[in-house]
Amino acid sequence: MPDGPAHDDDRSTALTAIRAAIPLFVPAIPFGLVLGVAITDSAMPTAVAWSTNLAIFAGAAQLATVSLAATATWLTLVATAAVINLRHVMYSAAMAPRFSDQPRWFRWVGPFFLIDQLFALTSVRATMPTAHWRRFYLSAGIFYFVAWTTTVTVGMVVGSSIPTEWRLDVAPAIMFAGLVVLGLTNRPGVVAAVVGAAVCLLSLEVPNNGGILIGAVSGVIAGYLADVGESRRADRRAAAVGRR
Amino acid sequence: MNGVAAISAVVSVGMITYASRAGLIVFLADRPLPPNITRALRYVGPAVLSALTVNLIAGGDGVGGVELVEVAALATSIVVAALARNLIAALAVGMTTLWLLLWLL
Repeated sequence: MPDGPAHDDDRSTALTAIRAAIPLFVPAIPFGLVLGVAITDSAMPTAVAWSTNLAIFAGAAQLATVSLAATATWLTLVATAAVINLRHVMYSAAMAPRFSDQPRWFRWVGPFFLIDQLFALTSVRATMPTAHWRRFYLSAGIFYFVAWTTTVTVGMVVGSSIPTEWRLDVAPAIMFAGLVVLGLTNRPGVVAAVVGAAVCLLSLEVPNNGGILIGAVSGVIAGYLADVGESRRADRRAAAVGRR
Repeated sequence: MNGVAAISAVVSVGMITYASRAGLIVFLADRPLPPNITRALRYVGPAVLSALTVNLIAGGDGVGGVELVEVAALATSIVVAALARNLIAALAVGMTTLWLLLWLL
């Protein structure tokens, strides 16, 4: 019989992973439903817009891709989604040491699943033994992938029966604004968000939705400068305390 | 957006997404990013998402595309998100505000 103790152990790791993954998925359900509605409303062919689940698997980038198809040029759309995904570089950097002793196939396959929730779930469990952690990561990752695609598809079915007077087209903007607010942890972050929004508002007349990128770049520069300024002030204060 | 443009856009965004997730894990393993880059990357999220919010509210029609009811709904949802730290509550209150205003005005 192949079902030895090792197999039981594998199965319990998978179950533990899924059980730990569920609470983090619940808040993403409305987002998935909103994305489903946006897919049915998208200027892209519906099947192509749905395929973002498989090809992109990143809520914010998917929502931007299907929503911008109506107004943006190809290049603006791709560039905006690319910038949205830059935060994944941070996750990639933070996770790299944990992947360094993993098999090569997993180094290539694992990152596909690296959404915000999986990062939150697995980065704090980095001290697990290598094989154990890999199983935990993959189980939770595949769970998120299946749960996400299902939720979005349900949103498409529900969304197509909701009348346009309900103005669900406004929901993506509210979703993005909420994500910004929940992601703000320090003052430079607030500076980045306010400058990003203000500059985008001022450059709305720039053709091809170029204002998104102009706003984003200005916001990042402003946030970076505010961060540098803040740590300089902290250094000076520390130095002043040291002299006393 | 026609089929070919849409497919190539989705595939491109997919490849860029994968590259940004896998790049450092596959190729850099243990070398850390320069601290200045890490510092700047931290602000990409708030900057681009808030710019995108403004753009979606305008809906491609410039400042003229901004509707007062949408701004009101957005403002209440931002307040709720800040106070309750809860995305579902923010969405629910924002949409309810929108429906109330559309019904009243």
